[in-house]
Amino acid sequence: MSVAAGGEAVSTETPNQVDTKGVVVGLVGIYIAGITAGIIGPYLAFFAGIGAVFATRMGADGVRRVCSYGIGTGVPSIGVLALGMGLVASMFGIAIGWIVGVPMIGPIVGFVIAVVIGWIIGTLANKVIKLNIPVMERCCMEIAGAGVIVLTGLSVMIAGSLDFAVIIEKVVQTGFIAPVFILGALGILHPFNASLGPDETQDRTLRHAYSTGAIAMTISGVCSIAVLDPIAATLSIVVGAFIWYTNFMGFVRLVQRDAGAGYVGTGLLPPGAM
Amino acid sequence: MDPSMGMGLVALMGAAATVAGCSEDLESDIGSQSNPNSQVQLAAQVGYPHRVFNKAISGEPPSNAMYCAVGAGVAMMLMSESTIAASPLLAIAVGAFVSALLNGVFSTTSYLGRSASQTRFNQYVYLDVLRNHVFGIMGHAYITAFCIVGLSYIMWAVLPVTHPFPFPVIALIWGLAVGAIGSSTGDVHYCAEREFQDFKFGAGVNASDSGDITRFAEAGLRSSMDNAWFCSKFGGPVTGVAFGLVVFLDNWRSTAFEGWTAVVVGLVIVSLLIIYNRRLELYARKTYGPYPEYAGEIEA
Repeated sequence: MSVAAGGEAVSTETPNQVDTKGVVVGLVGIYIAGITAGIIGPYLAFFAGIGAVFATRMGADGVRRVCSYGIGTGVPSIGVLALGMGLVASMFGIAIGWIVGVPMIGPIVGFVIAVVIGWIIGTLANKVIKLNIPVMERCCMEIAGAGVIVLTGLSVMIAGSLDFAVIIEKVVQTGFIAPVFILGALGILHPFNASLGPDETQDRTLRHAYSTGAIAMTISGVCSIAVLDPIAATLSIVVGAFIWYTNFMGFVRLVQRDAGAGYVGTGLLPPGAM
Repeated sequence: MDPSMGMGLVALMGAAATVAGCSEDLESDIGSQSNPNSQVQLAAQVGYPHRVFNKAISGEPPSNAMYCAVGAGVAMMLMSESTIAASPLLAIAVGAFVSALLNGVFSTTSYLGRSASQTRFNQYVYLDVLRNHVFGIMGHAYITAFCIVGLSYIMWAVLPVTHPFPFPVIALIWGLAVGAIGSSTGDVHYCAEREFQDFKFGAGVNASDSGDITRFAEAGLRSSMDNAWFCSKFGGPVTGVAFGLVVFLDNWRSTAFEGWTAVVVGLVIVSLLIIYNRRLELYARKTYGPYPEYAGEIEA
């Protein structure tokens, strides 16, 4: 637990485990939503949102590890930078799928592009700017990759389709891309930022990441009422709100666990501090 | 549209922006967000546990961009023909309410998480601090979101030359702007003055005094709630005026003039402001400059 001092973050779940869950659940969720939309309608669009929740968790773990090296106010900067690449790569990937006539390759192309851009930015930061943070390249790749899955997932959830033209019409032209982008970004950034301190624990931060991802999912579900089938939108809202509530309560329980006797209803300053 | 109507709308936007700037600054001051946060976060770690609200939501510009973009997204959904085609005023009010709820959730998790992460320094999680402060923070966030989403709607749908961007994107950009101005203009009057009120010259104190924030009030322990009272005397209004001027002048030049004339007027305004600021800085240095007894660095 060397967060304040700077150094490698203590983890109970390894980066590979978190990343595998994030990428696999994220992409599978997007594909379930995208493939079933053409068969039974957009009723399973919420699966793309669930994918986005897991990808948020993966991004939050990346932020947690890179920011443990004392980046401080750089936390939002690095995250918004990564989400910016994520947005570009996400739209690029879906557009490539549309150009070659195979919409299904969109999310994977976007993910690969984002990981490559993330690696380039991480390398620039480490080798040119000489930040010399050992996990920089990997974490930039993770945050950008998570950004793509979050933005693609939420866009697919709102549009109910993987088709570039539909996403442009229902998500970009309506402007819903703005809340999607910033909720996705803060979903990834906020969990570690809200737990900053030497007694930060990985399970609490990642539990919080589920809840922020679910907030993004719920609000995107609310936006999708305007452009999608009302039943599909309601499903997204209900599932998102349920994930948020359970994880928010779980986060509060973990706060109680970590704060121990310091979790008080009211009181003066601790003994010795008055 | 009648030109005077266009100027009236620009004036209304400027007024809304002034209110938004003020409430945004007060919201961040109650929560100790942005610049002041580094000292509040540091306090417990250097031996000064406190009852001050400690929240950080990824910096003021992104968090305000989030509230405004979400408010605008929800308003856009409600105004859509495929839903209830609500009137803009109702839609904006509901959107701002959703933003305020979002702000409440993010503030709550920030306070709980940050305090619990400092357990080893004896920093308690006070639930009454949470309950007392979070509604004040949400209330100010509602005002900010309502004003910003409202002025974005005017830019998008009502002004004579409507904006090409969709309405939530404009709200996102103005949210970023109000957060940035609140962070740079208003926060100084909380973090430099209020947090170090028991030091002779406020902030600018020795680095060894970092984190030694004012934790005791006139009576009892200080909470963050009265920061709104303190900062509403100067920090909040000055933020409002700064943001209001940005919105008003920018929209005034593009409404009153067209094409390249508007660009030239913009350049003139910026040049005048630069010259004015430079003269003000020189005047302040000359008048209040180095203390008379200051005799240069003393060698160790």
